[in-house]
Amino acid sequence: MPTIEVERGDLEELLGAKLPDDPEELDNLLSFVKGEVKQLSDAEIQIDIKDSNRADLWSAEGIARALRGILGIERGLKEYRVEGDSGVIVYVDERLRNIRPYIGCAVVKGVRLSDAAIRNLMRFQDKLDQTYGRGRRRTSIGLYNFDLIAPPLYYTVSKPGETRFIPLGFSEELSLEEILERHPKGVEYGHIVKPFEMWPIFIDSRRKVLSFPPIINSNDLGRVTIDTRNVLVEVTGTSFKAVLHTLTNVVLALADRGGKIYSAEIHYPYEDLGVATTPSLEKEKMEIKVDYIRGVIGIPLTLREIIDLIERSRYGVLEADEEKVVVEVPCYRTDIMHPVDVVEDIAIAYDLNRMEPRWPQAVTMGGLARETELRNIVREVMIGLGYQEVLTFSMSNPTTLFTKMNVPCEDVIEVVNPKISSMTCLRNWLIPSLMELLSHNTHVEYPQRIFEVGYCVIRDDKLPNRARDVEKLACVTIHSCAGFSEIKSVLDALFMNLNLEYTLREDVHGSFIEGRFGIIVVEGEEVGIIGEIHPQVLENWGLENPAAALEINLSSIWQIIKRRR
Amino acid sequence: MGLRENEVRLLMALRDAGGRATVDEIAESSGLAVAAIMRAALTLETRKLIRIYERRITKFSLNEEGRRYAEEGLPERRLLGILLRLGGGAPREKLLAEASRSMGSEILPIALGWLVRKGWARIDPKDQRIEVLRVPEEGGDEKLLKMLKDAGELILEDLGDDLREAFKILKSRKIINLREETIREVELTGDGWSLLKRGLEFVEEVTQLTPDLIVTGRWREKVIARYDINAPAPRAWPGKKHPYLRFLDWVCEKLIALGFKEMRGPIVEISLFNCDGLYMPQDHPAREIHDIYFVKDPEFGDLTPYMEIVERVRETHENGWRTGSKGWGYRFSVSAAARLVLRSHTTAVSARTLISDELEMPGKYFAIGRCYRPELIDKEHLSEFNQVEGIVVGEGLTLRDLLGILERFAIDIAGADKVRFKPDYFPFTEPSVELSAYKRGYGWMEFGGAGIFRPEVTKPLGIDVPVLAWGLGVDRLFMMWAGIDDIRYIFTHDLDWLRRKGLI
Repeated sequence: MPTIEVERGDLEELLGAKLPDDPEELDNLLSFVKGEVKQLSDAEIQIDIKDSNRADLWSAEGIARALRGILGIERGLKEYRVEGDSGVIVYVDERLRNIRPYIGCAVVKGVRLSDAAIRNLMRFQDKLDQTYGRGRRRTSIGLYNFDLIAPPLYYTVSKPGETRFIPLGFSEELSLEEILERHPKGVEYGHIVKPFEMWPIFIDSRRKVLSFPPIINSNDLGRVTIDTRNVLVEVTGTSFKAVLHTLTNVVLALADRGGKIYSAEIHYPYEDLGVATTPSLEKEKMEIKVDYIRGVIGIPLTLREIIDLIERSRYGVLEADEEKVVVEVPCYRTDIMHPVDVVEDIAIAYDLNRMEPRWPQAVTMGGLARETELRNIVREVMIGLGYQEVLTFSMSNPTTLFTKMNVPCEDVIEVVNPKISSMTCLRNWLIPSLMELLSHNTHVEYPQRIFEVGYCVIRDDKLPNRARDVEKLACVTIHSCAGFSEIKSVLDALFMNLNLEYTLREDVHGSFIEGRFGIIVVEGEEVGIIGEIHPQVLENWGLENPAAALEINLSSIWQIIKRRR
Repeated sequence: MGLRENEVRLLMALRDAGGRATVDEIAESSGLAVAAIMRAALTLETRKLIRIYERRITKFSLNEEGRRYAEEGLPERRLLGILLRLGGGAPREKLLAEASRSMGSEILPIALGWLVRKGWARIDPKDQRIEVLRVPEEGGDEKLLKMLKDAGELILEDLGDDLREAFKILKSRKIINLREETIREVELTGDGWSLLKRGLEFVEEVTQLTPDLIVTGRWREKVIARYDINAPAPRAWPGKKHPYLRFLDWVCEKLIALGFKEMRGPIVEISLFNCDGLYMPQDHPAREIHDIYFVKDPEFGDLTPYMEIVERVRETHENGWRTGSKGWGYRFSVSAAARLVLRSHTTAVSARTLISDELEMPGKYFAIGRCYRPELIDKEHLSEFNQVEGIVVGEGLTLRDLLGILERFAIDIAGADKVRFKPDYFPFTEPSVELSAYKRGYGWMEFGGAGIFRPEVTKPLGIDVPVLAWGLGVDRLFMMWAGIDDIRYIFTHDLDWLRRKGLI
């Protein structure tokens, strides 16, 4: 969810109306563009835009464009057009194919940028780079003072040590390599180009460097000030579609500031892409059935209402009758993929809070999954036995699961990208989670009796997802005279209430005292373990009282119960 | 006037002792414990039958060195004896040499010092010859030493003046142990005497009612002891549900009452259900390593049981398939859809329910499921958390029905007084709605997100009717209810908190 900052005065000027002073009303108004006031000061509004798919709303210009429709100041599609050819030709080097293959350019002439407008533009550029551009990896934007540039332009490559220029904000020439080491942007984004031997470079016909995409602009050519009248906009990236979309967004924002748009010709060396003219401000047509609109929203809107709502959402209406409407989708609405996207805008423009909520008519029977019923029975018995229910994380680590439990490591499901060292895998048994909890409570009054019914996950290559969730019960009793017979009483009580008979099979287990451990067997199937905790394990967890524990696989128990029915 | 058993026994013991005795003496004669005597004495005193006296005394006895002095005589007395045996006078060296045969050498300077100080002998300053001046009788200090040897312990306050002086000397010689003590004495008052003369009404009292007393009916002859009912009792900790799970159970009940059926799904999930089937493009930021846990080994799940769905999902992403959509327009990777992850939202469970043979139509479903995201854990974030999510599936469902469900949740579950909807965004729903609930005293709270599944989601899963999807922010509701502002308390290790957390 992108967070953007706009200046209240700037937004009001673009909007042509005053914004509400009351924060709640302002929040309400911004909700029509999926915005939410995050912070409010006299001059600035910080807005969360919830739609991560609508880059057109991440600027004051875009918000104003949409709100003018909602407020009825301006209806229908806003026309943006390319005034003509700027004469700029960009030649793309074939060697960029696997590095950063695409570029799009446009020239916007006659802009008059206030300080506020420039700040806004920089923020918009940054937001697009970060969010839509995936931290400049997918797309990045460069803005230049067009009057200082001598076309044609060349989007080419350079060896890291070869090219030198003064990067933005510096006073000395640096090589590309030095920029990666010394310039803050080089440090931040250098990882994008580092894997390559040759790095992208954007130069003009005099071989003057415009920029080192996607890292940094030149200090001479790549700087836009309040005196800049004609702006060259460039976007490079790894997806041509994303490059075009980003370019459109920047160009329209400048056009909203009074600029006139001129195109550039990009000469690609790739088989599937020859000469491309950018920007592309093409509108699209979309046909929507009127019944579909009514059916999704659930309100018998009249055709007139529908047309009004569509126009307030800044679409054009080309045709409309009782059967269908043909909508003109503006070039910046690349998020419109399906008629339902337009229907949502109609619903928003109608105002969700004006709709009368309706409880669905259909009668359905509610209920728990049968496994959950078993889980609840087990919890009830454990609580009746005086055990406190606890809730622990199902992610754990091998030290907790095995080393501290005095057992050899087992195969568990690990994650590639753990965030903290205590959560690197899914647990395959539950008792360690309880031991860990007890280790944090040595100062708390004993006896302590705790239980948890929770999920463990074990690898199972027979299943499509290669893992099986196992719901388990574990309980531990710990106090100065805790022992095997106490925990066995719990087991007896539990199985009596589950109407199941069990036997215990002697075995050895590193976590338990030899001769005081058993495997719980029901109908020949191993369903759990029970025993007195080994003093070595107690010592590992810093526990000074004897403890006894049991763990039962409820998923297995459930299968046995199901078989019997 | 009824008297309890112990009170009677105390009064009788006092009478036998002649009207006054110390508590220790009474304990000995009556067999009562000191604490029991004191309790009884306090009750009797309030009835003015006895009076209690307290007096501080100092008891003293000999320490180890003192006992040796008592045994062998004072060192100066012994040294005097040796000097006399040497003829009443001897050079210092000779005396000391002789004395060291029977006395410890470390004690000789002390003995010589006292010999002179007490004026029993003198040392010639010129030739260091020592001569007896007089043979004294037994001194006060020696007398007291003997008394102590016989009695073991004496009370300082009982000594006469002369012995007090002797005590000071012994004390200065550091051979005395002292300890202070409070002596309690009990004395019958006039009322006490006359009561005894009239005769006591004696009722036997019991503390613990026993099965024997009940069965034999002997309880009728007894008085059951009164307790101080305000005295603290030992703590008991009941077994109880974890407060958060108890809350989730309650949410569950509400949902069942509203006709929702529980659905379940796996923790380790195939991306097909966690992402692709939900129309999340494969380069979506929420699918990156910062937002989703990837399974290390095995990396990929088996898509063969779902090949038909995979094919439809692929086409939908690439060109919209038959969903009426343009699609995302990129090259779909089937292996990315097979990538195994830890479920990052319970929407994956909804997707699985939609392809299940057991799906009922119309149907309402909910899931309470553990979800995982690689977040650092702090006051507001957990890496592992629970989601409550669900779907409503059936012919003719509309946005208004979705709002109706949300409003119901807000009122029934969050106890809202007012409800507000805001447009929202989820990759898998359109339209998408945020639910805010207003509760007096708490203000507005975001309580859920919802929407209608996109046709790009439902059609490839084989569903041709609208599916309303919703999720509730139950964690925040729980925190509000439990009065906590730190989400980590949901998975707390704090057993004391769990024990003490009230249920209401």
